[in-house]
Amino acid sequence: MNQKPGVCTFCGTGCGHFIGVENNRIARVYPSQNHPVSKGRLCVRGWNIHELLDTPDRIKKPLIRSDGPFVEASCDEAVGRLIDSLKKYPPESIGFLASPRSSNEEQYLLMKLARSVFGTNNICLDSESGHRASLNVLHAGTGMAGMLGSIEEICGAEFILVAGIDITRQNPIIGSEIHMAARAGAMVVTMDSRRTQIARLSKKFLQVRPGANKLAVLALAKTIYEENLHDPSFLEAHTEGFEGFRRAFGKLSENELYEKTGLKADEIKTVARHLARAKSAMVFFSSGISGLDEDTIGYIYNLFLLAGKIGKEGCGVNPIAGLNNLQGGYDMGLAPDLLTGFQPLADAATAKKFEKEWGTALPSSPGKPIYRSLADQASELKALVVVDHDEGIVRYADAIKKLDFVAYIGAFKNPFAEYAHVVLPIATYVQEDATFTNAERRIQLSTKKIEPEDGLLPGWKLYSMIAAKAGRAWKYAKVSEVMDEIARLTPAYAGVTHAKLAGGFGLQWPVDDKNPGGTRRFDLAKAGRKLAFYGVSDVFEAPSADDRFPFLLMVGKAQHFWHQNNLMKKTHIPMREYNATLMDYPEGYVEICPQSAKEIGVRDRWPVRVVSPHGEMRVSARVSDDVSPNTAYAPYFVQEMISRFLLGHTEVLRQGEDATIPVRIEKV
Amino acid sequence: MTMFLIKKSDVGKIAEELARDHQVYGPMIEKGSGQTFFDRADDVSEISLSAPIPSNPPKSVVFPQMERVLAYEYDRPKNSVKIEPDYKVEPKALVGLRPCDLAGMLCLDRFFMGQEFVDEVYLAHRKKMFIVTNTCVAPFKQCFCVCTDSGPAASEGYDLNLTDLGDEFLVETGSEKGAVFAAGLGLAAADDSHLARKKKIVDKSISLFEDIAVDSKAWISRVMNRVTTGFVKEEVWEYIGDQCFECGACSFVCPSCSCFNIADVTNPECEGCADRLRSWDSCSYEGYSRMAGGHNPRKPVEDRRNKRFFCKLSYSQMKKYLRPGCVGCGRCAWVCPGDIGLPNVVTYVRREITR
Repeated sequence: MNQKPGVCTFCGTGCGHFIGVENNRIARVYPSQNHPVSKGRLCVRGWNIHELLDTPDRIKKPLIRSDGPFVEASCDEAVGRLIDSLKKYPPESIGFLASPRSSNEEQYLLMKLARSVFGTNNICLDSESGHRASLNVLHAGTGMAGMLGSIEEICGAEFILVAGIDITRQNPIIGSEIHMAARAGAMVVTMDSRRTQIARLSKKFLQVRPGANKLAVLALAKTIYEENLHDPSFLEAHTEGFEGFRRAFGKLSENELYEKTGLKADEIKTVARHLARAKSAMVFFSSGISGLDEDTIGYIYNLFLLAGKIGKEGCGVNPIAGLNNLQGGYDMGLAPDLLTGFQPLADAATAKKFEKEWGTALPSSPGKPIYRSLADQASELKALVVVDHDEGIVRYADAIKKLDFVAYIGAFKNPFAEYAHVVLPIATYVQEDATFTNAERRIQLSTKKIEPEDGLLPGWKLYSMIAAKAGRAWKYAKVSEVMDEIARLTPAYAGVTHAKLAGGFGLQWPVDDKNPGGTRRFDLAKAGRKLAFYGVSDVFEAPSADDRFPFLLMVGKAQHFWHQNNLMKKTHIPMREYNATLMDYPEGYVEICPQSAKEIGVRDRWPVRVVSPHGEMRVSARVSDDVSPNTAYAPYFVQEMISRFLLGHTEVLRQGEDATIPVRIEKV
Repeated sequence: MTMFLIKKSDVGKIAEELARDHQVYGPMIEKGSGQTFFDRADDVSEISLSAPIPSNPPKSVVFPQMERVLAYEYDRPKNSVKIEPDYKVEPKALVGLRPCDLAGMLCLDRFFMGQEFVDEVYLAHRKKMFIVTNTCVAPFKQCFCVCTDSGPAASEGYDLNLTDLGDEFLVETGSEKGAVFAAGLGLAAADDSHLARKKKIVDKSISLFEDIAVDSKAWISRVMNRVTTGFVKEEVWEYIGDQCFECGACSFVCPSCSCFNIADVTNPECEGCADRLRSWDSCSYEGYSRMAGGHNPRKPVEDRRNKRFFCKLSYSQMKKYLRPGCVGCGRCAWVCPGDIGLPNVVTYVRREITR
């Protein structure tokens, strides 16, 4: 039999699959029937992963360039160039942009390389760094920097809120579990500005005005509190800091809330009562470019804490990771201020533990997030190492071009490599044992399926080679020893070994002496602390449209579009789907409702100009019932939008909240 | 046709004999996960006739998920092309095929070989094939082959058909090739009494559907009539379409789905060289029915979804061959993220009829 079990590495759901191999090539994929997360299902991306893994569009040889075009080099030569170039600069001027696709072992070693070999804390994840906002809220509130619930418990939740996430597109199999729960009787409520598929499948759809999610959550919390639907003894015994949250309730009158959210009183009240009275309740959301901002997430967490729906079976405040190892990336300390397992770099005892294990002092100067440095004209950043990049490149292309030195490390060809001076290939994830941590903290081992092509090293070996050539010999005989080191340094991973993960479906952290089989969800009984209400602001700056800019433009992901689609373009079937939309809308599209289209005087696929106070772009109109009048939606793959239009809106993007921009749409 | 008996302890010999001059495929249980696969057996002793219905249909043997069908090299200066077909002509034996899966393969045969143009690639796989089916003495949870006339026992298309009689297997021969092979095994002859025992076992198997095959109930014939005559309301299709996640899984796991895509993949290391790949495709994808120029006759998801059921229950097989394109294996129900496998769709259409 030729079916090798593994983990899908597109989104953060972490579905199980089997890969078929023929002549050391990946030939097919099939879903894993007994996998606890995916239970025999895969999405369009997962069903076509073999096409990606068999693509000839790989980086296979190290490349270097001085002034002219790339020339092939030996690995030794390219690594030497990388080290010499980085060593020219003080640590503050070097940066590392890590990948949320890399395995835990690779991420950990890149973090170790940056800190212990090149002495810099300038390291962060390259995509969806917004997930940090969710982790900040959950860590401050409960001590657990990850999803509080579990995908396996979705089927047991009586109430499910899907807040501002197109979940059947972004993480389809989690969306499927929610759909199944709805069919089995759960009260599923979707809160979104756009009528997504999950909105159609929900029992109740709260179509919020763009940018007003926070207010809608506030309205729910206010109802629960004012109707005395919460349990005061729970608040007293298990929580702290409620007063701070309660203060926000008085800021706006009920009528103001209804007006700003566009929702009706009975809609809010019905949903609030369902939430409060359900035995178990979950919420799903995402943070980042197409998700929510930290303050809104704080409101969501506080709402569920007020309702007493945290730390019990079938409950969970669940941020969804859009990329396969985004959660793992934060677990591995890929942030300027973090070490592994969300341990703060600033904590002296933690730093000492790492220094002892690594046999070197940690850099003391605080690091800076790479994107902030790229956006800052006066930044000291001169040299950048980028791993397996998906997006963001188009936004900061000019800043990246201005850097003195750029190195690109990756398995697949990528437009980012065009900006590099050194390109180093690595093996794909099926060519080495690797662990990945999905959105529900499940650490899964994906075993090696095929041999790497001649001369290609897996990431952990390449990083070890770089360290050795730079004068620090790491002594890992095999990749499992990297996980052993992570376990020694990371309380939540203390009980994880490759041997323990082998042959199973993974373990959810924390995995330690107390929880040798992992931890399905955050447990109130075992918390050993009071749960804190998150400190939220009581300022509500919902962007509003006016006569000059009557549309509120939302930004999000569309089906088959996946982080600039660098990987999707290397498949056949998903690429066709991508091309079909691009052929229909060659310049990308902005979605408006039929009524708005009529008012503007355009039809589907007609060109329009989208004008904001900060810029404009030309795209096609896509006419659809999924948006309300005076709202518009643009998918995040539209290059012109990302490269030019959004540049003028950095403030809006930083505020998050659906990245809503007031615009005017004109017929061209 | 002749009939024989083979002891249970000897039944493995069939695969062993076939392995002499065939690539042997059969149901095997993956040890780590317990999942059954119908796959190529490197070691024929791994083949299990008592394994549950394989998670994958045998379709991938004759119609792989992704297959190179030819390679070509275009020499631009000379304006010449070298084309190398890449057909897999090795003889293959399928051992332990479930009756529904055989019915699925016969649907594929009709599509790929039974029309005006014969698909050479498929023919190469299918030629010289030896098929040993295995009667289902009891259904599995998701089965409904009794509603699609494709089980629990195979009636045509096999070389040998095995039925577990308890202490031994009845070996029926279904072709000249099968009869010659079985005669060579030196088996005891079976008689009508064994055939009568088989009939009892099959009847028992059918009676067990009520209690065991509880996942999927599908009153296909009534719905087929409705779908074929086009009397299903749009709202029903919309209700079904809303639940479609457009993943393609139903087509991929279907033993009788035959749609494919062709892609020429250029080789970056050899200018003018390309591999022509054929891969599974699905009518649930928007790009599948999109025409050059942008027109898409089935753009909304519900239009794509209902096409699948028109195809399965009406025009692909029914109108031409008087049998449904569905073989009752129930796989589409367990892989569907939207819970709109064929049995549920049949239920929704029926609900409309009875309303």
